[in-house]
Amino acid sequence: MSNLLHFSEHTLQEIALVFMATIYFLRVRWLLKWTAAKERQPATGMGDTNPKKGSRYSLANILMPWVMESTRTKPLMYLQFVLFHLGVVASIGLSFIIPYAPGLLKSTTVQGILQFCIGAAFVVGIMRIIRRVSNVYVRAISSPDDYFSLILLTAWFGFAFYSVPNDASQGEGILLTYFFVTAFFLMYVPFSKISHYLYYPMTRHYLGKTLGRRGVFPLRRSPAYGNK
Amino acid sequence: MFLMNDENKKRSYKAQKVIDRLGKKLNRQMVGSLAACVHCGMCTDSCHYVLANPGDPTYAPAYKADKIRKIFKRHYDWTGSVLPSWVGAKSVFTDEELEELKDTAFGKCTNCRRCTINCPMGVDFATFNRMTRGLLVHVGIMPEGVEYVSKEQWEIGNQMGVLKEQYLETLEWQEEELQGEVNNPKAKIPIDKMNANIVYTINPREIKHDPRSILDAAKIFYAAKENWTMPSEGWDMTNFGLFSGDDDLGGAVAGRVYEKVEELKGKKLVMSECGHGYRSTRCEGPNWAKKDIKFEAESSVITMLNYIKEGKIHVDKSKNDSSYTFHDSCNNARSCGLTEEPRELLNYVVGDFREMYPNRAENFCCTGGGGAMSMSEYRPRRLQSAIVKAKQLEATGTKYVVTSCHNCVDGLNDVIKHYNLDMKVTQLVNLVSNALVI
Ligand code: SF4
Ligand code: SF4
Repeated sequence: MSNLLHFSEHTLQEIALVFMATIYFLRVRWLLKWTAAKERQPATGMGDTNPKKGSRYSLANILMPWVMESTRTKPLMYLQFVLFHLGVVASIGLSFIIPYAPGLLKSTTVQGILQFCIGAAFVVGIMRIIRRVSNVYVRAISSPDDYFSLILLTAWFGFAFYSVPNDASQGEGILLTYFFVTAFFLMYVPFSKISHYLYYPMTRHYLGKTLGRRGVFPLRRSPAYGNK
Repeated sequence: MFLMNDENKKRSYKAQKVIDRLGKKLNRQMVGSLAACVHCGMCTDSCHYVLANPGDPTYAPAYKADKIRKIFKRHYDWTGSVLPSWVGAKSVFTDEELEELKDTAFGKCTNCRRCTINCPMGVDFATFNRMTRGLLVHVGIMPEGVEYVSKEQWEIGNQMGVLKEQYLETLEWQEEELQGEVNNPKAKIPIDKMNANIVYTINPREIKHDPRSILDAAKIFYAAKENWTMPSEGWDMTNFGLFSGDDDLGGAVAGRVYEKVEELKGKKLVMSECGHGYRSTRCEGPNWAKKDIKFEAESSVITMLNYIKEGKIHVDKSKNDSSYTFHDSCNNARSCGLTEEPRELLNYVVGDFREMYPNRAENFCCTGGGGAMSMSEYRPRRLQSAIVKAKQLEATGTKYVVTSCHNCVDGLNDVIKHYNLDMKVTQLVNLVSNALVI
């Protein structure tokens, strides 16, 4: 292994992670600086829910595609969401496996799982790029960051896919690119929309808390509505 | 290119005021919603404006939300200060831009909250659209109707400028009608009775256009032998502050109702059927008025349902012998969880009930929500978006659409008229009263 590859797998990643953590810390501090609005209203609804239940339901919402019309009626979009995010987890995981537990990659099953997740995410990334450019509604709301983040992630999946075997015998180019892109990705994330997972627990918790108190969450649907 | 330096650009007085006030209105929930949107577009199809205007992205919830989000990002989110145009941050400089914002906040959204419950991230656009309205109202930029109605509610105490004499005369007239209908000259609509179990508040529309619903409610209270009263002041449980985004107005109006109930030492505040009134007085009012209410408060739907369940009134559903569907008001269903009680009540008073799809919290707005009925300049746009509601209504094949909201009654009547549907609108109070066995 060359010094450059060693540096990119270790020192560079550590610097990027520390940088990301620092910006995230500032970001969370900024978010918490805003005081949460106090809710005085007495509870409404059927009495079978409460703010805690509403919050739990709201946070688990992402695992229940049937509860929201938007995900229920677009199962393919939901599948894309799942595959894309699994790909992110796998690609990030890979950046830790290669330097700290390379032995895991000797298993062809592990390699297969990682490549499936990352490969599927790459395909979804391409589909999402096409949608962002061709769907008139999505194009109208897209900022340069939306395009760049998506292209960056998709390209990163591509490099990650080929880095899974962790084989530098044919040259270190792919591994070097993957680790340099990973480092850039980690440093860019806190400034981009990719950091949405930081807000997700907060927005969903507060919405769930309010709508739980109001008896709206968990959402009710008439039995007959299930197949509509 | 992305490091835009716009700080030296001249800004109008109103634009500056909007930016400054935005900072004061932000809270953690709002900031979360403003920061969290990933521009995925999943909420797009949940909006009736989008469905009725295919291909026009200016109606998409996230597009509309970005109008205020851009300003937030430019001035209050430091990622937007570092690379403004990269993340879509943009300031506001002129009154014309504020007018454009008005067109979106008031004219392209009824604050129905349907996109909110369909956003995977939990972005509550309807709530910050209301805030945007409030910012504009604060600098005097609002539709004429909003200005007019707000003024009426500030100055006269109710949305429709009903004077006290007119209110009392109408109650007196309805009392006479009640005496005739129940054949009892002693039947009363009590005014300002102390220590009543129920203080009944209404929508001023009932005085102006629908006194029958006051009579129907009075008949039900009479049949239940209820110890009830109507207040001479603070009787308007509607609240234009919900629509205009003006928390001060919201607090003042709700405060008037609460103070009167306390003054009369009423045990329970009951609100007649009105979605935004229920939401404002029951849910948001204590927040706006910064007051914890000590008495019980409920919708008349719950009161009527309990009367039947407790055997205080008896009904005969064969008296309502047509076919009926139910329209959930956005405020009742998506903001107050009032979806099951009206259905339970309907099942007691009608024989042929057919569900509308989608329903409950997923129902579509009547298109007259968010104060839209008072904004005549947006009427054509509203009626065009109403095609979604019209199709929903038509698919039920019923002769009546029942709703628990006076605002929806007007909104639905407009839809029915515009799309030539063979349907009538009614409320639960009318059906319960008609089914009464006295
Ligand atoms: S508001 Fe929610 S659903 Fe709509 S684009 Fe933003 S994140 Fe997606
Ligand atoms: S609140 Fe209702 S009207 Fe407004 S954008 Fe969302 S879905 Fe459309």
